[in-house]
Amino acid sequence: MMAQFFSIGWQNILDIALNTYILFRLYVLFRGTNVLRVLLAMGALLVFRQVAFAMGLVITSWVMQGVIAVAALVIIVVFRNEISLVLKTRDLKSFFWGIPRQQLKTPVGIIVESVYELARKKIGALIVLPLSKGMESVVQEGIPWQGKLSKEMLVSIFWPDNPVHDGAAVIQGNRITDVGVILPLSKRTDLPSRFGTRHRAAVGLAEQTDALIIVVSEERGTITLVRNRQMYDINDSRVLEKLLIQHAGGDTSTGDIKKRTRDLAIAATVCLVCVTGLWISFSRGVETLATHDVPIEFVKSDQNMEVFSSSASSVRLLVSGSRPLIRSLGPDRINVKLDLANTTAGQTSLSVGRNAVSLPPGISVKSIEPSMIDVFVDVPLKKEIPVQAFWVGRLSTDLIMTQVAITPRRIIVVGPSQVLEDIDTLFTQPISLDGIAESGKITAGIAFTPSTIRPEDQKKSEVQLEYTVRKRNTPDS
Amino acid sequence: MDKIPKMKTSIGICGIFLVCLIAAATGVPPGWAQDPDVAIESVYKAPVLVQAEMCESIERFNPVNSAVVFSMSLGRVYCFTSFDPVFEETVMFHRWFRKDHLISNARLVLNPPKWASFSSMQLRPADKGPWRVEIVDSRDNLIKTLRFSISD
Repeated sequence: MMAQFFSIGWQNILDIALNTYILFRLYVLFRGTNVLRVLLAMGALLVFRQVAFAMGLVITSWVMQGVIAVAALVIIVVFRNEISLVLKTRDLKSFFWGIPRQQLKTPVGIIVESVYELARKKIGALIVLPLSKGMESVVQEGIPWQGKLSKEMLVSIFWPDNPVHDGAAVIQGNRITDVGVILPLSKRTDLPSRFGTRHRAAVGLAEQTDALIIVVSEERGTITLVRNRQMYDINDSRVLEKLLIQHAGGDTSTGDIKKRTRDLAIAATVCLVCVTGLWISFSRGVETLATHDVPIEFVKSDQNMEVFSSSASSVRLLVSGSRPLIRSLGPDRINVKLDLANTTAGQTSLSVGRNAVSLPPGISVKSIEPSMIDVFVDVPLKKEIPVQAFWVGRLSTDLIMTQVAITPRRIIVVGPSQVLEDIDTLFTQPISLDGIAESGKITAGIAFTPSTIRPEDQKKSEVQLEYTVRKRNTPDS
Repeated sequence: MDKIPKMKTSIGICGIFLVCLIAAATGVPPGWAQDPDVAIESVYKAPVLVQAEMCESIERFNPVNSAVVFSMSLGRVYCFTSFDPVFEETVMFHRWFRKDHLISNARLVLNPPKWASFSSMQLRPADKGPWRVEIVDSRDNLIKTLRFSISD
């Protein structure tokens, strides 16, 4: 098993690495959102289905497969807003590479100044800074604003005579996207009695999302920050600024960076383990059989030697493995190599063993056909050999063929030394004498037999014959 | 009278000295100058081939109907060779090949001053195809190759 694992091909390593990265990116983009939780649940369902399939629970695995398919659709429909938010708020670089923070571009200083201005003037305010979870499903849509964030703008939104001052203002990046947004109220009973509706709305939103909410009390002019069910009374602008920077992902304290790096490393490791496990489960799944015709590759230790003939140019392999692996098994991933290291010049029989077959991990050879290959190995030589006409048929009885001139008279052929030793003549393909009535010219191909020989110049595989015939002298003449 | 033997002796010594001197100058050691093999090699003269033809028959020591294609119906095919001059009695071979396979090796004796000789091959149905006759001298030197075909 370990040997098989370490003999893993580069394609499989790339396969695992790519999928690990994709999984890791999905985690980075959707962490903290409900989408990730549902994706994790789907992953668990997938594992459950694999286990059920391996145990032979056909119907269960079939149902699980259906559930997973439906869940994929449900995710897209139900979480379309969150998915859309994640995709819209990322540029291409942060989508594929960076570790994005939702509020990184938020002008924290302007918010702090605005909040303190509002508090000083005792103007009630409710400011929402969403992070990664979409809020569309929990808030009642306000009025789209899409205005650039400024202190004056923020203060004017919450000015008591403004029609939208009762709702919340949503800040994303450096823009106020919505105003007059109605937030869900918390049903908690342990909230301090001094908390009014604004505070209760802030807590209600924090209970359901990861947004940060700033509340400015109209009565007391106090500032309260609500995040993750936690409430902070803000007495110092520096504290507010720090909390906002933290929320925006801009906190660069060593401990925080270490924690974030550790979390990402753990996430990456988990992704790697999951994908590797998935790959192993695929590679060791239900066995499927397939046949492949694979060309034989001869490995020469002596570069001067050449294989001139082989009883078979390919072998038929019956391979087994899991269905996905068998399906992904392309011809480029199967090799049959026969080593000619111990062969001598001449005819040799080579055994095609399983060690000659190279397959990706998880796939094994069941049978090889043929299991023996006869090869003719020799050192190639060149030899200049005369060409002779090979006449067939019958020349008219009143004619005599007195001369045949062949051009070229000799051809250089390449072939195994042992074969060339025995060849003194090259013959043309059979040329019919039937129908010859006078002298003439004809072109004929050369029969390169045995097949282990070939012309040095492939263009010189034909010759031209110029033949001379004359009338036969009759006894009377 | 007494001097004569002395002169003979001095002439004999001078003669031996001269022979040694000539031998040293020519590089031939006295007593080894007559190597028999070298002598034969140097005097061998191959007969000169003046005519070589494949033909349908021989009449009055002349080839009849020289050709390069012969019908099986002829029954026999001839290889005619003529040498002039022939310097000494020697032998010549007609080696008959059918498709690179040696079928027959005919040994022919040649006599000076000139000689014509021939060999022949009885044709069978299986003999159809390309043939050649190699004319080879006594020292296995290929003098000429005649190529022809046996047809239906």
